[in-house]
Amino acid sequence: MGNFFLLLGMGLFTLVLLCLYRGVFGPGVLNRIAGICAIGTKTLVILLLMGFIYNRVEMFIDISMVYALLNFIGTITAAKYLEIKGDV
Amino acid sequence: MTRVTDDIIIRAVSRVLIPFIQLYALYVIMHGHYSPGGGFQGGVIMGASFILYLLTHGLEEARTKMSEIKAGVFSSFGLLIYSGIGLLCLILGSNYLDYGKLSTILKVIPAQARSLAILGVEIGVGITVMAVVFSVFFDISTGGITPEDEEDLGGRDG
Repeated sequence: MGNFFLLLGMGLFTLVLLCLYRGVFGPGVLNRIAGICAIGTKTLVILLLMGFIYNRVEMFIDISMVYALLNFIGTITAAKYLEIKGDV
Repeated sequence: MTRVTDDIIIRAVSRVLIPFIQLYALYVIMHGHYSPGGGFQGGVIMGASFILYLLTHGLEEARTKMSEIKAGVFSSFGLLIYSGIGLLCLILGSNYLDYGKLSTILKVIPAQARSLAILGVEIGVGITVMAVVFSVFFDISTGGITPEDEEDLGGRDG
């Protein structure tokens, strides 16, 4: 079962790399924000899979919840910065 | 300056989410012995909830909940809790922040006194970090100009 989670995590990691390409080279700011937001959600799942691999899910679930909350706030801040033209 | 947004979805989502974020921050502070977290991390989460409130409800409404002066008072108050517990240990005749001696005041065994005093220290650290994180965001958002400063500047112009 550990191998299955490891393969799943590696697959998600390749997806993270693709999103990172969109975040770095993406044409325009909207593509960059969407790419970074997608990286956040994938990182959350990767953290939970690490918890399953190390048999300490109850510990990693705390970290992933904090990551989700801060990712939400960061995305709202970036979107608002864009909405009012360089003013949070 | 942070302006008010008219987006009903953002306001509704933040109104539902902010209490849960704050409850989770309290959980991280209280449960810091057994799981990842502690005073600093819980304080950052608590500060993030206030930052979310400022982003969604605007500067003026956020000032009614937590102003710059309140943030400064809270940051000093948390430091007072931290250093007060440390100095109490010093007064009772042991090292700074050596909680074992507190068992004479709390009327419990030294191990329990250590656990309780560490919780108190973490609460102090959490309050300080919450206030400082919010204060830094507030100062960046306003450019460091408080309402009193604006009145002074207006008086000088007139």
